[in-house]
Amino acid sequence: MDAPLSSAEPAGSPDAPARDTMDRIRRVFIASLHLNVRAEDLLYQHKLDEAAGLDSIAVLEFVAALEKEFGIEIEPEFLEIDFLRDLPRLASHIEDLTGRRSGSPS
Amino acid sequence: MGATYLLSASRSARAPLFTAHDLLLLLYLYPFRLLSALASRDLLYRIARAAEPFLQFHAREWKNTVTRRMLAAPGLDLAPGQAERIARRLVSNAALRLMDDLVLSRPSFHATLGGAEVRGLEHLERARSAGKGVVLLNGHFYAGRLARRYLATIGYPTLTVRHQRPSEDLAGRLGQRILQPRLVRFLHEVIQDEVYVQDPGCTLQILQRLRSGGLVNIHFDARYGARTVESRLLGVPRAFASGIFDIVRLSGCAVVPMLCLGRSKDLRIIFGPRLDIVEASGRDEFVAANLPSFVQTIEKQIAENPEEWTLWMRL
Repeated sequence: MDAPLSSAEPAGSPDAPARDTMDRIRRVFIASLHLNVRAEDLLYQHKLDEAAGLDSIAVLEFVAALEKEFGIEIEPEFLEIDFLRDLPRLASHIEDLTGRRSGSPS
Repeated sequence: MGATYLLSASRSARAPLFTAHDLLLLLYLYPFRLLSALASRDLLYRIARAAEPFLQFHAREWKNTVTRRMLAAPGLDLAPGQAERIARRLVSNAALRLMDDLVLSRPSFHATLGGAEVRGLEHLERARSAGKGVVLLNGHFYAGRLARRYLATIGYPTLTVRHQRPSEDLAGRLGQRILQPRLVRFLHEVIQDEVYVQDPGCTLQILQRLRSGGLVNIHFDARYGARTVESRLLGVPRAFASGIFDIVRLSGCAVVPMLCLGRSKDLRIIFGPRLDIVEASGRDEFVAANLPSFVQTIEKQIAENPEEWTLWMRL
C-alpha cells in the first residue's frame, strides 16, 4: 500500500530495509521530480505512477539521481517500473548493492 | 510518405464515418494479407506496380505539396522536374513498403533478405565495445523496419522506439475504432522488438537494453514526446522530441547514425562514425550543445535520399 512515511510500518524484521534508506529514496524522488511536498507526506507509488504516465523521462532521471545518491548502478534486470514502485524492495536492493545490510555482500 | 498518406491527400476537420483510406486498409489487412501468405515477393511487387497508376493518381495533391516542400528546402537544390520525379518515387516506395511489411510478417522473411548489404559495421562495433549500449540515430525512412529485422537476424537485435498509434489523419470514425487497432497489431508483428513512447516504463526499457550493451533505434525526426526542443529541419522550424538527449546524457551510451535504404530486394544499411557527444553541466545545456549535430545528421540523410524519407508531409 502507498502511504506517507509517517504512517508506514516500522522496519521490524532483519531483512526489512532501514527506514533511513527509504527516507533517502523519497527525498531523492522529490528532488529529481521537483515536487513540492515533504518526504513524510509523499505518496510515493501514486506520484511515481503519475510521473511515469506523464513523462517517462522523469523516471529515468529518478533512477539516475538514485544511483548518484547511493553510488550504485542498478542492474538491467531491475530496471522495471514495478520494481521501482515497491519502495521496501527497492530500498532492500539498494542496501544490498551498497553493502549496508548485515550479511550482504559488500 | 507513410502508407497512410498514400491513399488520400485531403483532410477533414471532422472524420467521416468511413473513408477510401479505410476501404483500402480493410482490403490490405484482410483479404490481401491472407492471400499474400501464398504469394511470392516478386508477385507482391508486381501487384504494387500494377496498382501504381491508381496510387499516383490518388496521391496527386500529396505529390504537389511534397514537390513544393522539396523545392523550398535549402540544401536539396532540385530542379522542378527532379522534385516531381522524386515525389512519384515516394509514392512508389510507399506501395513497395506495404508489400515489404507483408514479407516481414512471414516467419520465413529472412530468406528474402539474403542480398542485403551492410556498410560501416566497424563503426557500430567500435561504439558497442564501450559497453554502454548504442543509440542508432536515423529518420523515418522506408527501409527502417526491414533493416532492423535484418540486423536482428545477423546478431544485432535492435529495440525500436515508436509511437503506438499510426496516423489517423485519413481514417474515418469506423476505421479509427476497428481498423487502426488491427493495424497496430499488424505493425507489431512486423516490427516485433519495440517499445511505445506512451508506455510508462518506456525509458526504463531503453536503459535496460543499453545497459545490456544492446542497440536502440530512435527516430530523431519524430515529434512525439512529453518534452520537445525547437530547431530547423530543411529550413523549416520544427519541434523535436528531446527525450533522446536525456537518454544519451543519463546512460552515457554511444550514438551512431544509421541510414536504411532500398527495399527487401536491395536493402542497404549504412552506419556512420560515432557522433561526438558534447558533455554539459545541465540538461538544457546538453541539449543545446548536441542538437545541431543530431539535426545535421538527419538533414544529410534526407538531403541525399529524399525519395526514401517518409515524413515530407509532416515537415
